[in-house]
Amino acid sequence: MAEKYEKVTNTIERRKERLDRGIKVRTEGIYAISSLEEVAYLVLPRLILIMGLLLLPAVIPSLYWKRVISITCIYALLALGFDFLANFVGLVSLGGAFYIGVGGYMAAILNKYVGLSPIITIPLATFSGAIICTLLLLPALPLRGVYFAIVTLMYPLAIARIIEALNILGGTDGILGVAGFPTRWIEQYIIILIVIFALFGLRRLVNEDIGLVFRGVKDNDQAVRASGLSITLYKSIAVFIASGLGSLGGAYLSHIYMWSGISQFALDFSIIPIAATVIGGGGTLVGPLLGCFFLVPISEFLRAFGTLRIVFYSLILMAFIMFRSEGVMVYAQRKYHQFERWVKV
Amino acid sequence: MECRNTIQHSNVPLFYFFTMDILIYGIVNSFSLALMAIGFTLVYGISRLPNFAHGALYVITGFGVWWFIHKLHLNYALSIILALILMGLIGAGVYRFVLIRVRGMATSEIIATYALGLAILEFLRWRGFKGMTYTLPVFIEGSIQIAGVPIDLQRIIVIGIGIVVISFMWLFTHYNKIGLALRGMAQDEHAAMMLGIDSDGMAIIAMAIGSILAGLSAIVLLPLGNIVVEAGYNVLILSIAVCIVGGLGSWGGAILAAFMIGFVQILTVRYIQSHFHMVVALLAIILTLILRPSGLFGRQKELEERV
Amino acid sequence: MKKKWFAVWMVAFFVSLIMSTLFSSEKANAQGKPIVIGSPLATAFLYGWDAERAIKLAVEEINAKGGVTVGKEKRPFKVEVMDTRDLEPGVPVSDALLVVEKLILEKNADFIVGGPVRSEAALAAMDLLSKYKKVSILTTGVLTPAYHKRVESEYEKFKYCFRISGEVGWMVTGEFIPCLMGIKEKFGLNKLFIMVQDVAHARAGGDIVAKIAGEKGWEIVGKEIYPTGTTDYSVGLLKAKDGKAQVILIWMDMPETAILLKQWYDMKIPALPFGTIIAAAEQPGFWKATEGKGEYCMASVVNAGNAPSKATPWTMKFVEAYQKKYGLEPEGYGTSSSYMAVYVLKDAIERAGKLDSDAVISALEKTDLMGVYGRIRFNPKNHQIIPSVDPNEGAVGTIFQWQAGKRVVVFPPKIAMGEIKLPPWMKK
Repeated sequence: MAEKYEKVTNTIERRKERLDRGIKVRTEGIYAISSLEEVAYLVLPRLILIMGLLLLPAVIPSLYWKRVISITCIYALLALGFDFLANFVGLVSLGGAFYIGVGGYMAAILNKYVGLSPIITIPLATFSGAIICTLLLLPALPLRGVYFAIVTLMYPLAIARIIEALNILGGTDGILGVAGFPTRWIEQYIIILIVIFALFGLRRLVNEDIGLVFRGVKDNDQAVRASGLSITLYKSIAVFIASGLGSLGGAYLSHIYMWSGISQFALDFSIIPIAATVIGGGGTLVGPLLGCFFLVPISEFLRAFGTLRIVFYSLILMAFIMFRSEGVMVYAQRKYHQFERWVKV
Repeated sequence: MECRNTIQHSNVPLFYFFTMDILIYGIVNSFSLALMAIGFTLVYGISRLPNFAHGALYVITGFGVWWFIHKLHLNYALSIILALILMGLIGAGVYRFVLIRVRGMATSEIIATYALGLAILEFLRWRGFKGMTYTLPVFIEGSIQIAGVPIDLQRIIVIGIGIVVISFMWLFTHYNKIGLALRGMAQDEHAAMMLGIDSDGMAIIAMAIGSILAGLSAIVLLPLGNIVVEAGYNVLILSIAVCIVGGLGSWGGAILAAFMIGFVQILTVRYIQSHFHMVVALLAIILTLILRPSGLFGRQKELEERV
Repeated sequence: MKKKWFAVWMVAFFVSLIMSTLFSSEKANAQGKPIVIGSPLATAFLYGWDAERAIKLAVEEINAKGGVTVGKEKRPFKVEVMDTRDLEPGVPVSDALLVVEKLILEKNADFIVGGPVRSEAALAAMDLLSKYKKVSILTTGVLTPAYHKRVESEYEKFKYCFRISGEVGWMVTGEFIPCLMGIKEKFGLNKLFIMVQDVAHARAGGDIVAKIAGEKGWEIVGKEIYPTGTTDYSVGLLKAKDGKAQVILIWMDMPETAILLKQWYDMKIPALPFGTIIAAAEQPGFWKATEGKGEYCMASVVNAGNAPSKATPWTMKFVEAYQKKYGLEPEGYGTSSSYMAVYVLKDAIERAGKLDSDAVISALEKTDLMGVYGRIRFNPKNHQIIPSVDPNEGAVGTIFQWQAGKRVVVFPPKIAMGEIKLPPWMKK
């Protein structure tokens, strides 16, 4: 007991101090355009991201890896939706698979049974998929926290079983013969452009007024309610946006593989976006994107290990959650905007 | 194709027979669900930790006992005891080294435990535990007839052990010091901490007991069929279903929920179509969460769960 | 402290990753450039590793004898197996399709043999194979008739797809029904109860059997459809008992079939378990796993050679070679078909003289050799193997019954090694 007491009276001599960098302060107001350096500080990261994404398919030679990029972009759309819902609206949605499945089936139905071409089915599927998902999730919206998470996790599983049991929409065989894209370049670049637009669009959105309401719902929904705003309405709008992104991904998936089936409700589509958000850094919107670009290629690399691949994958995930749960982007942003130093007390 | 007419034309004793068979197999099914779910409910009730590795713990116990029996050539009873002790240690270890870092962040807990479960299951696959030839022997061979319904002894053991475990847990949490501490934690964490109960210590014990219970249910239920990795996912979903319908945090509710779901499943199979066996569990979760998130007897406050 | 360990771990991981990719590059074989066979299979499941093992066995045998003669040179086969995980719940079919693409684009597979195993994945893969113009021989899983029907309906697009293993249509009309009729004649049984799994091929199979058997004098006393993962069959079994069923037709490929059989035994249901596809009972390890409770269970392993019989001179040679290499009898239903697929491919390449897809396709259509399970010929219109009950005419299936710890082939009569027996508690 005496030891403990002694330790308490030990004084610390130095502490770590974190300050904004000079250049960050300078770029906050009108002085952002005062010199090339400041402009670069602001613009460069975003430019690198956009250019990087656009150039990626051109730089990577192998057809197979180009396909991996497309798949990564689909996961990225889901991750964006998840991050948006979880960190900007406070709804932890584990049901990414649900959006993909609904969007995928809608696109396949519109294409196969109604006969529309992919250019039309994708936007239509996005829109109708978002509507369907929002309507189906409506009863669950008032739930909070872990309850909402579990319900959304169960939705894709339940609907997959229902389709299987009732043997509708192609049952376990799925819907085949869905049209593909006319050329490879369109296939490749459409999704990249969509991802870029989604990313910057969402960033814009959360800084608008409506974004403020969303954040209010996340922080203190009773206060928002007290202001006379309907929480359910705003939550539905948020779910609409996120499920729209997911349905878009699902519709795209149906068209690149020319098929749609109950495995589009697979758990993988729910888990990977969450993992990407954890690794990439939640709350930054660009973090989950980068997380996907890290996670999916690694997962493909690991195929060489056969079944052990998933073991490694899960271990990486656990390591990140346990040790670096803030995520790469948050860490990077902190380093970019601030610096740390030891200061004498 | 289906000839239900033959049944309707039968005489009264046959109808009685069917009700008996629903009763008996309903009870067996309910106890199976209760055994599977009680470990999960315990951990969630006490430390609000959704342990998504529950299914994996179930499966690894099965393979563990198999390995002890066939590779180390130990006696069956000894293998069981050894496996259960091991499970307790693993459970405690999981909390101490993994979950303690993510405590409180619901999403991270789910992901961490899910990733762990996934790692365990895939690791088992990689080690060669695939295919359908891994089985555990039943405790007692043979079958008997109860009121005209044939039932094998292992299933009766399931009921027996179910009753024993439930009573034991009840007694433990009402009369044993540690059990009372666990119950206190479940009721109100902050009050318990003020009384000097160590939250992390209790959580370690809860995880250990939860894992042992998962293992126990595996040992009792796996001899009925074979041990396959896929069972892990099914067990997880069923446990979540029972836990949620019963109310997170209420053990009485969980038992009742197990019975409800168990009987509904059997009735659906009997009178509607066996198609919907799993859909029942999933729909139960969704409906409960939408209509009454706190489940049957959950003690969560209304405001905490919905707006 | 935490940071240090994390960093160390990450560095070690990445180093090993880079090393493994660097060292996985192709090495040229002294014997001539290898012909790459890509095998997308769900290796963690019976219907994946059965094919994997057989393919590797065949490749080994062929390479040992000098390889494949392509034009003037001899080239060895090289097999690249990749895990698709497509039989796992929770894994989307797009994963399997990605594997097929990886095999074609990255591993430069010349031919695809084996999977994907899941019907949904295989059907979706057809479009991919057509896109890349790669010849594929399906050898395991995928029992749906939709596969060869699709080839027939759009021949020019899907001519690359062949299937050398069985499909539901023939299995029911050519094997199960005649076998049932045989049982009817021999034992005078006529009440049938049907238990199928809730997947397309099982439901379709169950329906067809019910219809045809009904027309041929069988009384269908009930039908139960079980979703994948059902752990309790008591209600169904009791229904069967109550309806006085004498034969229970089982069509399930899930592991829980072991529970079904154990329950059947424990409840002493007086009916013969006629397993059409009954996954748990197909492995040699089944007897030990159920401690003999699975006796009298019948099962179909789709093609001869998957259980020992004397269909052709090659059958037992194959069974013995397999046993020598892997230590147990062939199991699952993709084994003999995968083995034959490699030999059939070799034969076709040698006749075509080159690896060009169109040339190999016409050569495959003209295939006519005596294989492990009979005469191997493909229907030129839909690229499905031509089946028969006579090994001299076509591909022969196998239905066996577990008797005293052994898998005794009981159908077709031309290759039967024993007779069907009824469980003792059925004789009253």
